[in-house]
Amino acid sequence: MAEYKTVEKVCGPQRKGETQLGVLYDNGKVRRRREWRGVKDTFYDYTRWLYLVSVLARFVAKPRNIKGFFRYRWMANYLGVMHGMDKFTIGLRDEPLRIAHTAMNFVINDVTQAIDHCFRGDRRVGNDKKYSDNCVLTDENAMTAFMMGFPNVNAILREVPTMFSANIFNQYSTTHYLDVAQEWGLPGDVCPMPEAESGISIEDDFCVLGCCAVQVNTTCDGSLMGNGIIAKRLEQDYNIPTFQLVAPMRHRMDDVQDYAAEDIRRAIAFVEEHTGQKWDWDAYFACAKRVNDATRKRIAQMEINSTDYPQFVGSVFSLYNDTNYMGNCGRSPDFVKIDEKLLKLAERGYQKKRMLATEYRHRCIIWGVQPQYIIDMLYWMIQCWGVVPLTDMLSMVNTKMIAEEDTPENREQAYYDMAWLNMNMIMRNRTHGGYRVLVDELWEFCEQMNADMVMMWEHMSCKAFDGMHGIFEEQARERGIHIVWVTHDLCDPRVYSRQDIRDQFNVYMRTVMREEPLDPTIEVLPDNDAW
Amino acid sequence: MRDLKHLGYLEDLLQEANNELIQKAKRDGRVCIASVCENIPEPLLNLGNAFSVRLTAPNTGSMDIATYYMTGLLCETSRALLERAIEGGFNFADGVVSPDGCTMINRCVENMELLQTMGKGNEHFFIEFMEIPLKGDDNGVGLLVKQCANHILKPLKENYGIDTSDAAIRQAVGVHNHVCELIREIGDFRKEEYPRITGYEFHILTLATYVCPKDLLIPILEETLEEVRNREPEPAKARARVMVVGSEGDDSGFIKLIEECGAFVCADRFCFGSLPGRNPISLNDDEDALTQVCAHYTYSCQCPRMMNMAKVYGRKQYVAELAKEYNADGILYDQIKFCDPWAYERMLGSYMLREDYGYPVLSVDRPYNIKSSAGQMRTRVQAFVESIELKKLQGGAK
Repeated sequence: MAEYKTVEKVCGPQRKGETQLGVLYDNGKVRRRREWRGVKDTFYDYTRWLYLVSVLARFVAKPRNIKGFFRYRWMANYLGVMHGMDKFTIGLRDEPLRIAHTAMNFVINDVTQAIDHCFRGDRRVGNDKKYSDNCVLTDENAMTAFMMGFPNVNAILREVPTMFSANIFNQYSTTHYLDVAQEWGLPGDVCPMPEAESGISIEDDFCVLGCCAVQVNTTCDGSLMGNGIIAKRLEQDYNIPTFQLVAPMRHRMDDVQDYAAEDIRRAIAFVEEHTGQKWDWDAYFACAKRVNDATRKRIAQMEINSTDYPQFVGSVFSLYNDTNYMGNCGRSPDFVKIDEKLLKLAERGYQKKRMLATEYRHRCIIWGVQPQYIIDMLYWMIQCWGVVPLTDMLSMVNTKMIAEEDTPENREQAYYDMAWLNMNMIMRNRTHGGYRVLVDELWEFCEQMNADMVMMWEHMSCKAFDGMHGIFEEQARERGIHIVWVTHDLCDPRVYSRQDIRDQFNVYMRTVMREEPLDPTIEVLPDNDAW
Repeated sequence: MRDLKHLGYLEDLLQEANNELIQKAKRDGRVCIASVCENIPEPLLNLGNAFSVRLTAPNTGSMDIATYYMTGLLCETSRALLERAIEGGFNFADGVVSPDGCTMINRCVENMELLQTMGKGNEHFFIEFMEIPLKGDDNGVGLLVKQCANHILKPLKENYGIDTSDAAIRQAVGVHNHVCELIREIGDFRKEEYPRITGYEFHILTLATYVCPKDLLIPILEETLEEVRNREPEPAKARARVMVVGSEGDDSGFIKLIEECGAFVCADRFCFGSLPGRNPISLNDDEDALTQVCAHYTYSCQCPRMMNMAKVYGRKQYVAELAKEYNADGILYDQIKFCDPWAYERMLGSYMLREDYGYPVLSVDRPYNIKSSAGQMRTRVQAFVESIELKKLQGGAK
């Protein structure tokens, strides 16, 4: 039997605080109480929790936000934010705990601001027309690269708070909108994310603001097609013109780059036309430097995760990358400071050999698309089974440096760089572009990160991923890599509940790996009714 | 009506992917290039001694092996094609050109490639994946030109020594157009009050043009056109004239089922249909043929993956115009189960055609082989036909 790395062996004494995390769950909407992590870490955790309270207090202090709360059904999901943060810190101590808080507090702050901005310009709530006229609606799951040269225009990702992040805080947040879309005749087998967004649009429950909108064929055929329904609502009911920006599928092929770059030019011209703002090359190249900086930091984090002491892992890693890489895309300097802080924390944690659980048994790469409604799954895997998620598919994005010096040649190159980023938005850079980026490169990452296991998030409606199921199995078998298939329906817990998801992992660990859980009290969790 | 002379022969022909005409062409030393989507410019696969075949899997039953490779949630067309490929049913192909268009068909062909289902013993065999335009604009035309040059013309020339010159393309377009004109002329008889051809018969003829070497079909089509011209129509009208709109409709059993319910399929706007797939390509002498062919495909494309709003609205308008031209009483929107693009298109299309254009619409999803759920479909079509009849009786009153 393999000798596992344990905290005791590495650090000496047993780590502080709770070891049986099952005591925290009692079938309620929220947990029974906060986790005990020792005096120092509990105090830290609690003060960061209080910080979130202050963020929310500032948000609700604005009357228009209260108005928005009562206007929009989806806002009720944010009652779960205070509990939601605890999903990302299960069992964490020391630097990993600080990393999770630093990153997630920033993300939550960012989402809060997004909602605030939406309500400010929303014709039904804040109705700040001047502000709204300076806003461009962009896709939730798309790169905002084409906005890098518009420092004075607001990119509004209204689908993020409405659908994407809402599902993290309340697992049932999308079910109503899915029902709406299906009542209108959309089948239940398409990806529930664009389907829910279509439902929101059909029910007219998106904030209405902006002088124009830019949509992208983001991750899948469903996203591409859902755009038509959303655009019809925007154009015909609200007179908001839309532009459909293309992101070619075969993004690694040389012969699609001109096509992609040309459409970036056209998207920029569209934004210029409707906002009256001119493209600013100084702003663009400043953003490009920050994009490169973020790329370097992300690579550095993954190098740490390739060692025996990974620090920045789990869904926080992917959510933070998602926010920074796509939603921000170099536009805000605030991310630079947070990136630095996160990297310092990770380096310190690595030097001190900090572990995320009492014992590590398997080094695992997470592949596929994570379900929003069980966002704590990866932390559960660490605590329950000692399986460490080294990285995830959504974080394996661009590693190329883009041109960052303002020269005539680089101004031309910039369109290609923006197009490259646009094509390499999270998830679709793996699920599209041929099997090489989805299958072949997974095995390369397993080797680079010394992983012996892959947890396959098999999103049952993700046809691009499911279409390679058999090939994954056969090739993993040839390479001696354990694949744990965990099926889910992204943001619809009615199909696969949280425990159904955990059970798939439990069954594999017990029957194939013949292992016992590190913490048996959390093998089954009564949280199907929780937020 | 009296049976068409060649109908039985063509029906038999369509029972096999590797049909008699393909075998004949192969025996003559010709090169078979398979494709899987309407977005691939067909004439470019018919240069020189090459001929194109759109892959189909007639009489599909079990898809267990393909379901293992792609799960049960991928559309049945993609699974049926993969299953047939694994069974060795497409071994006649000397090359495959696949669009990275809809995700599932792309994955289907990728599985074919990884599992080495085709090309054994043929060192010149190739599988090429093409990017296809997502919008109907000049940028899309430029993309398609480049893609066709790199992923069709280049392998044809390098692997099989086929002439891919402008003159060769023009010649292939000429043959293509002749077939299109024959099909469209036959199809125009469907506009008549008492049509001289059924929707099913027409579908058989059209489908044959996608899955057989076109030049070998020309005598059959010419003779059939003459036959239809002189044919006595049925004295009774159909209970309802229905236009079928949808995706990969290569199952003539589906059209037959609709007509068995008393409807007449008057127009076919689907990927194996004649509208717009059998519109001739007009070429001028000012511009190179490749660009003009690509422009034709980019601008006339009715694939729901075309995402600019002019196309989104335009597709529904196109359906409405055809419905008017072919005197349709109602529209049947269908999709293959688990097809994402058509799931959305069907929803929006059926809503817009009903609300904005005032047509009765039946919206259904269906299996690849209609035989696996014929009873359910028959019930729905019968109800639709009855509802149209009732509307007629009520003079269109709501």
